[in-house]
Amino acid sequence: MSDIAFLSASLVFFFVAILYVYGCQSLKGGHKDA
Amino acid sequence: MTPNGWLQIAVFFVLVLVAAKPMGLYMAQVYERKKTWLDPVLGPVERLLYRMTGVDADAEMGWMEYGAAMLIFSLATLLLTYVIERLQHAIPLWNPQHLAAVEPYLAWNTAASFTTNTNWQAYVPEQTMSYLTEMVGLATHNFWSAATGMALAIAFIRGIARRESKKLGNFWVDLTRGTLWVLLPICVVYALALVSQGVVQNLKPYDTATLVEPQSSTTTGTDGKPITTAVTTQTIAQGPAASQEAIKMLGTNGGGFFNANSSHPYENPTPLSNLLEMFSIFLIPAGLCVTLGQITGTPKHGWAVFAAMSILWFAGVATCYWAESQPNPLLHGVDQHVAAAGVSPGGNMEGKEVRFGIANSALFVTVTTDASCGAVNAMHDSLMPLGGLVPISNIHLGEIIFGGVGAGMYGMLIFVILTVFIAGLMVGRTPEYLGKKVEAYDVQMSMLYFLIFPVVILGFSAISVLAPFGLSSLSNHGPHGLSQILYAYTSAAGNNGSAFAGLNANTHWYNSTLGITMLAGRFLMIVPMLAVAGNLATKKIVPPSLGTFPVTSSLFTVLLVGVIVIVGALTFFPVLSLGPILEHLLLRSGISFS
Repeated sequence: MSDIAFLSASLVFFFVAILYVYGCQSLKGGHKDA
Repeated sequence: MTPNGWLQIAVFFVLVLVAAKPMGLYMAQVYERKKTWLDPVLGPVERLLYRMTGVDADAEMGWMEYGAAMLIFSLATLLLTYVIERLQHAIPLWNPQHLAAVEPYLAWNTAASFTTNTNWQAYVPEQTMSYLTEMVGLATHNFWSAATGMALAIAFIRGIARRESKKLGNFWVDLTRGTLWVLLPICVVYALALVSQGVVQNLKPYDTATLVEPQSSTTTGTDGKPITTAVTTQTIAQGPAASQEAIKMLGTNGGGFFNANSSHPYENPTPLSNLLEMFSIFLIPAGLCVTLGQITGTPKHGWAVFAAMSILWFAGVATCYWAESQPNPLLHGVDQHVAAAGVSPGGNMEGKEVRFGIANSALFVTVTTDASCGAVNAMHDSLMPLGGLVPISNIHLGEIIFGGVGAGMYGMLIFVILTVFIAGLMVGRTPEYLGKKVEAYDVQMSMLYFLIFPVVILGFSAISVLAPFGLSSLSNHGPHGLSQILYAYTSAAGNNGSAFAGLNANTHWYNSTLGITMLAGRFLMIVPMLAVAGNLATKKIVPPSLGTFPVTSSLFTVLLVGVIVIVGALTFFPVLSLGPILEHLLLRSGISFS
């Protein structure tokens, strides 16, 4: 049971990290850099 | 403090200074895919690896693709290590001590730890990990996590150097070339040098030796009565230590093959091996300063960054050496040598190896926490309060004083962005960094990078000092207890891995939260850093003007040091004042806590 929990937690963390990549990129759209 | 101690510290620094340029130029050649003398041997291996894995070596990646590849690779290697740890008892290979499977919380903590180049160890290696786990699960991670850090630093440098490009390189190529051309060849020679000094390298079961002088051990039984046991033999752990020791230090990983880490005579037997180990921690990070100058076409900028790192390194080692040369004030009046005299090193020798003495212990403490290494040749929990302030502050500054392989360089470059931004504000002009305008998005991502670090450290530390499950692991109370908890989360977030070992971190709370801290401190900081690199790469080069702040001058170096110290101090001074600084003041007043 613990094994599944930890493997799932790892997958969730890295999935969130991938979303975070897109989040950081999307912030760029809000700026009008010269 | 003695002239001999200072001389040894000076010799160490001269070695780093001399090696930086050839190492940096070599790495620039490797990552720019220029010809090197190892190509005839490694070129075919590289091509075979790409063919087997289907990597198109000429296809470059934007920052998002580069980051995603790095994340997927890290996830895959984390899972591999977790599975090996959990199944080590069932694999009939290289487990002569028949060690059991690692329990899930510890296995996950360790997998996260080695994936993130932290190498925090909440376990006793020689009693927990089989040789197979050490070699296939952990030593391989030492290579992969180090090569990942180097690849990311090179991606950032390319972001600075390239003009109007959306590409930062190919992660798989950078990972492969860093491993094959830089880490592996040095480690082969280095491991043999360590074997020559007495570091063990075998796959034998542990030895048992009969004690020359039998000892007795007294413990308390379940009925509360003392039980005295005669001890006549000693188990001497063996294993493939030299091969792991080499990459442990060169890759600024720090996870010991034995629990005593680099204070164990089978990991660090002689003064020469000690010097080699410290030198190898700084070798790649110092070289990367030259690589920065080479790839960006401004060698003086690389040396200006090197100078800033050197100033901060010297401040740390001088403070730690001074603090550890002072005797414990509570021992006043006790018959002991308080100053170096004859064969007595004086000062605070608790937790230190006699063969290394105070100077080489203080230097190791400083170097291992300047970088994100975390190997230890002395126990950090036994440092004087101000001596202990040095390693914790080094990590709080972001481990950018030479820093971890790659991680130190990209961390320092984020500080450089902040420095030129502040310099631009001072003169009222749009800041430029090597011809690239530093704009709102760059500063926003840089601040995100800086904020994640204190949020995870201070957040988890605050919960741990309030909750019974956090406090129950402490071996000391009062300000030293706070330092123990703060150090653990600081070390995890900074991917350092050293510890104030008085904290029992092998609990469900610490194993899981320190694991999360390590992952956040690594990957959630890398992503905004890559975003800055990707954004810089797309920009045009603006010709320098009278308003351009030169990043090759001594003024830049001084300003950079100032920004690093101010950001670090403003963020962490309040908690440090309640930990090591308060402990120092109380100790001088004769107050201590058990």
